[in-house]
Amino acid sequence: MEISSKDNNLMEKVLPPVEQESDVELETTVKKYLRGEGANLETLKDKKLKTQLTSREKLYGKSAKAAAKIEKWLLPAEAGYLETEGLEKTWRVKQTDIANEVDILSSRNQYDIVLPDFGPYKLDFTASGRHMLAGGRKGHLALLDMMNMSLIKEIQVRETVRDVAFLHNEQFFAAAQKKYAYIYGRDGTELHCLKERGPVARLRFLKNHFLLASVNKSGQLHYQDVTHGGMVASIRTGKGRTDVMEVNPYNGVVALGHSGGTVTMWKPTSQAPLVQMQCHPGPVSSVAFHPNGHLMATSGKERKIKIWDLRKFEEVQTIHSFHAKTLSFSQKGLLAAGTGSFVQILGDSSGGSSHNYSRYMNHSMVKGYQIEKLMFRPYEDVIGIGHSMGWSSILIPGSGEPNFDSWVANPFETSKQRREKEVHSLLDKLPPETIMLDPSKIGAMRPSRRKEKPSRGEIEAEKEVAIEAAKSTELKNKTKGRNKPSKRTKKKKEMVENAKRTFPEQEHNTALKKRRIGEDAAAELPASLKRFARKN
Amino acid sequence: MGEKRRSSSKTLAKNKKRKGPHLPNSILKTIANEKRPLNSDEEDDEIHSDGENVDMYEYEEGEPEEESKKNNRYDRVDNYEYELPEDFEDENVESDDDEDGGNSDNEDGEGDDDRHTRMLQDLTGMPSAAFQGESKRRPVLFTEAYPESEFNPTRDVLEGKGLISVEDLLAPLEGKPGFNDLKKRINRMQKDTQSVVHAPLPKPERERLERKAVKGLVEKEFNKWVHLVKRNREAPTVYFNQTVSVGYSTVGAIASEFQPRTEFEKKMASVLNDNELGEAHKEDGAKLLELNEVSMEDHIKYRDHIAKMRSLLFRHELKSKRIKKIKSKTYHRLKGKDLKKSAMGALMDPEMAKEEAIKQETRRVEERMTLKHKNTGKWAKRMLSRGLNERYDGTRAAISEQLQINATLSRKMNSTNDGSSSDESDDEEELSCGSDLDTPSKLIAKAREKTLKTVEDDEVPNSGLLSLPFMARAMKKKNEEVNEEAKRAFEEYEELENSGGAENPRKSADVSGRRVFGATSKVEAPKESKKDSDNFYDNSDSDNDMEGIENNDLVAVGDTASPARNTGAITEAEKLDDDVENPASKTTFDVALFASGSWKKMKGYQNAESKKPPKTHKPISKGQDKKESRDEESEDSESEAEQMVDGILTSASKETYEIPSQAELIQRAFAGDDVVDEFEKDKQEVLNQEVPEPEKPVLVPGWGQWTNIQRKRGLPSWMVREHEDAKKKRKLDLKTRKDYRLRNVIISEKADKKADKLHTTTLPFPYTSKEVFEHSMRMPIGPEFNPATIVGALNRPEVVKKAGVIIKPVKFEEVNPNEKVDDENPRSHQKQRPKKGSKTSKGQSKIKSKLKTKA
Repeated sequence: MEISSKDNNLMEKVLPPVEQESDVELETTVKKYLRGEGANLETLKDKKLKTQLTSREKLYGKSAKAAAKIEKWLLPAEAGYLETEGLEKTWRVKQTDIANEVDILSSRNQYDIVLPDFGPYKLDFTASGRHMLAGGRKGHLALLDMMNMSLIKEIQVRETVRDVAFLHNEQFFAAAQKKYAYIYGRDGTELHCLKERGPVARLRFLKNHFLLASVNKSGQLHYQDVTHGGMVASIRTGKGRTDVMEVNPYNGVVALGHSGGTVTMWKPTSQAPLVQMQCHPGPVSSVAFHPNGHLMATSGKERKIKIWDLRKFEEVQTIHSFHAKTLSFSQKGLLAAGTGSFVQILGDSSGGSSHNYSRYMNHSMVKGYQIEKLMFRPYEDVIGIGHSMGWSSILIPGSGEPNFDSWVANPFETSKQRREKEVHSLLDKLPPETIMLDPSKIGAMRPSRRKEKPSRGEIEAEKEVAIEAAKSTELKNKTKGRNKPSKRTKKKKEMVENAKRTFPEQEHNTALKKRRIGEDAAAELPASLKRFARKN
Repeated sequence: MGEKRRSSSKTLAKNKKRKGPHLPNSILKTIANEKRPLNSDEEDDEIHSDGENVDMYEYEEGEPEEESKKNNRYDRVDNYEYELPEDFEDENVESDDDEDGGNSDNEDGEGDDDRHTRMLQDLTGMPSAAFQGESKRRPVLFTEAYPESEFNPTRDVLEGKGLISVEDLLAPLEGKPGFNDLKKRINRMQKDTQSVVHAPLPKPERERLERKAVKGLVEKEFNKWVHLVKRNREAPTVYFNQTVSVGYSTVGAIASEFQPRTEFEKKMASVLNDNELGEAHKEDGAKLLELNEVSMEDHIKYRDHIAKMRSLLFRHELKSKRIKKIKSKTYHRLKGKDLKKSAMGALMDPEMAKEEAIKQETRRVEERMTLKHKNTGKWAKRMLSRGLNERYDGTRAAISEQLQINATLSRKMNSTNDGSSSDESDDEEELSCGSDLDTPSKLIAKAREKTLKTVEDDEVPNSGLLSLPFMARAMKKKNEEVNEEAKRAFEEYEELENSGGAENPRKSADVSGRRVFGATSKVEAPKESKKDSDNFYDNSDSDNDMEGIENNDLVAVGDTASPARNTGAITEAEKLDDDVENPASKTTFDVALFASGSWKKMKGYQNAESKKPPKTHKPISKGQDKKESRDEESEDSESEAEQMVDGILTSASKETYEIPSQAELIQRAFAGDDVVDEFEKDKQEVLNQEVPEPEKPVLVPGWGQWTNIQRKRGLPSWMVREHEDAKKKRKLDLKTRKDYRLRNVIISEKADKKADKLHTTTLPFPYTSKEVFEHSMRMPIGPEFNPATIVGALNRPEVVKKAGVIIKPVKFEEVNPNEKVDDENPRSHQKQRPKKGSKTSKGQSKIKSKLKTKA
């Protein structure tokens, strides 16, 4: 058995790079960075555009290639993995076994914090994974630095805490308490009390849009912009109370799980749900999104976990006989499901496009611990487990992204960098309208819509068609002198006129109106001034 | 004739080609004519013989053939034409005979002809057949009737038979000096075929050819640019960044290059560059004074100038003093006139300006009253009615002039008379204010007071135009008139008070005894207003009683207004009268309006009330019901949810106990809910909302149900068809939805208006297909998404230009058409001319490189 945690370079097998293999590898990464294929330029008739686009495509290709090369040669760390030999199964590997194999730094990430008094804990990590926020049900809020395992601030709010969430960085965090939600500073000072939302059940922060989304006890979904404090949207879901809420990291769409087994997806600019899916016959107990936004995992009370493809809104896989109270996807796509005192990690064994999740690792905690919340720590092979007796942390090799991008999140951020980043992210803040199911459609042509009112051109066209039809109608051969050519032409003219009359002329009307107005003005003048009225 | 010919040919000759008639007539004729000069000796004989021949022919063959023609004039001509050929044939016969060996000589037996031909032969010395045959082949026109000479060659010569060739002519010259030379030249001439000038081509063809040639040339010239243009067009970036010395960079550099050119500059330069001056300036000011010497001439000139100016000033002063002393009024009047004439005068003198303004005002009022110049005159009307506008420029000009006068006269002068206008407006305001509150009688009283005031204080201005004696007299007269008018007005008013009737105004108007011109208009105006009012109140029932009052009022208004229109000048009293009357009438009008309006409103309100309750009540109750039900539902659901949660909680805790069967448990747990059905219902609802079902065709009650047949027939076919179409359309719409095949998914297809701005409505310019555009948009080009090495290339602007570089017109440059556009190696699109120094630098570099190689 071999275990590797990503920061641990000791166990890595350094294979001599085989040229061909690397080529294939490079090609796949290039494809990834090309973000789809270019259009077929052969069909273009405009030669200028064609050459310009081909040169553009060439540049894109170069860019992708450079990016792929950087990824290959310059990114320092490799993802961890768990490799078994022979009859060994990965899910048989226990945390103690892993602890024996990994380096000291990694082994420090295995621990249990026992805080029995403040009840089941909710967890949240910052985007960089550096800081963790733990919120005990009974009012215990703790902000921790996970890098040096130190407690930054700990407060007791003496109220029920239902959920906690970091805002854009560790300087601010929000807690959903008994009556209202509050925003606290890093040092534990209460900054805001969000009274408008009512008793909040779940809180989530949309990083790119700077929106704090929450769902309250009466099933109302609120979006509040934390930059100016304005309530962007308050939506009545109309599906009753729920405490299942997750944000799709790809497009910022919020998903709610309801008691009727439906999952609804929302954006702040529409009062109606974008999508409603009947996922389970019973209540939905949790929802999780894959970081690439294409996969959604839901678990129902009927002991089933379902994985959905959000591009087709079709079910990909059903995992039977496992009830998950909480679900979480890792950066590398591992799915953690927790229930009772048992955690199961599912891995995508196919590794490719056909998603086939199967058992990867198990972890069972002390009997009696009720797991409340699972969350993978970003950029680390670690999962945090919030439970009724405090919180725990275990190692899951291969769960975290080995290389961080300091443009996106930097675990080793200095305070200066943090400030810089704050400003940059504020400048890059996306307006709430950009939340949509397919954000790649932004900037593209507007999807065609059914028109309510025909345009003038259409009216003209219709009119012409009608006139043509009137002209081409065959007249019956009549008798008793009614079949004279003059009569026939007259009849035909009449028909054409009738056809025309069905399409009123706009311009004419306006002109008439104008004239009428002038006349009215003349009529309204007093008698003494009438002679000054303009004579037509 | 043809037959005749045939017969003759049959008899005379077997050889068909000798037939004369094959020739065109005209030629034959000319040929025949030609004979005469040819054998000029026997002219008379010829003619005679001709005549004889004719006669003879007529005798011989003057048979029915001739008559069969039955031609008169034309025939004769024909005959005449053909006679000559006959002659000719005879000749031929002769010649044929000669050729054939005189076979037919005897047969013909035409002695005259024989002789003739023989004679010809003798004369010319050649067989007659020769020229006969030739004439047949190549017709030559002979128009001249001159005897043969070297200037008038014979027919044979012209025919090119070579009867007399150049050689023939040359022959006699042989042996003479210069003959060889001549011969050579002639030989050359004969060989030289090129010198033959052909007829020019027709013009269009020629031009076409020209164009073709030009096109080819131009194309060649232009085609060499194609590659260059193509390269520039298709280049992703065009560079104009060649390093060019922009020029001097500092002020000092620019100044150092300065060359004095003009006189002044040169002078300045000489002063500036004067070392002595510079030194003096540096050291001390005293030395500067020394240098600043003034010549005597200059000084004298200056002094004289000053003296002249002084004397001028003094004289001017004296003059103005003298003028001021003059007391003559006439002089001043004349001066004033002069001033007035000049526009400046009016501007200068405020008093005069005022006068002018008053005059202008009176003129304006007059014009506005009479409309004298607005094509209302008899003459103008007649002209217009005749439509002579276009025919006579004079009338047209006159009319336009009149209009112009009208415009200038009736133009409002804003700057003048401000005070008075404001006063008036004040008065009006007061009046209007009062009119809302006061009764007409009160108003009239007020007006009376005012008029009295105006009558009483007759201010006679002490200065200006009005102070002149005749003006004063005029003023007095006017005032008296005004006073009279006012008195009359008061009388009227008193009468009105006494009678108190509404109709009095009319009477009073009549009493006033002023001339009335616009009687018809006066009648019409009230009518119109009446009509209007009628229209206005058409729908209200309260018209009858209101109308009477209105009519009266309106009539009154009309009466009071019309005299004012017709009299030349308006006195103030009159004005006031008008004002007094108008507000009163207006108030009544308003009241009436209001009353009727309220009436209507009341009615409408009642109607609405009576109608609404049954209607409105229902929706409200429904809404309430709905709301209630919804509330209940929500409450229910909430409570349910709570229960559920409880249940879950309990179940979660129970999970530790082993429960026998999973399925059973689930069934039990979710016994009450039919979630799937509910979802389907929801989906249907959403679909109905987003793609609404077409309304069922409904007949308007009473329509189409007149008879049993109609009722039986049901709905009209077009309605049914429309409904069917709408249904089909809905089906299609449903089919095109994304969630059509997904039973458990509802995807909203509502358009998000707020997100509209994130999409383009039209394709941006160079793109013609949506697909290509969207594909080109797929790659982000920002620095966050691309390696730093490529970001620059991805975001390079279309034109890279250095500041200060002049973009010159494109120059020709050889371009390899197969060369690929390479963006990485920036290539200047602007070739700068090599500078003079470049050669030397090149040489240097060469040397350097050599040195390097050596090293």
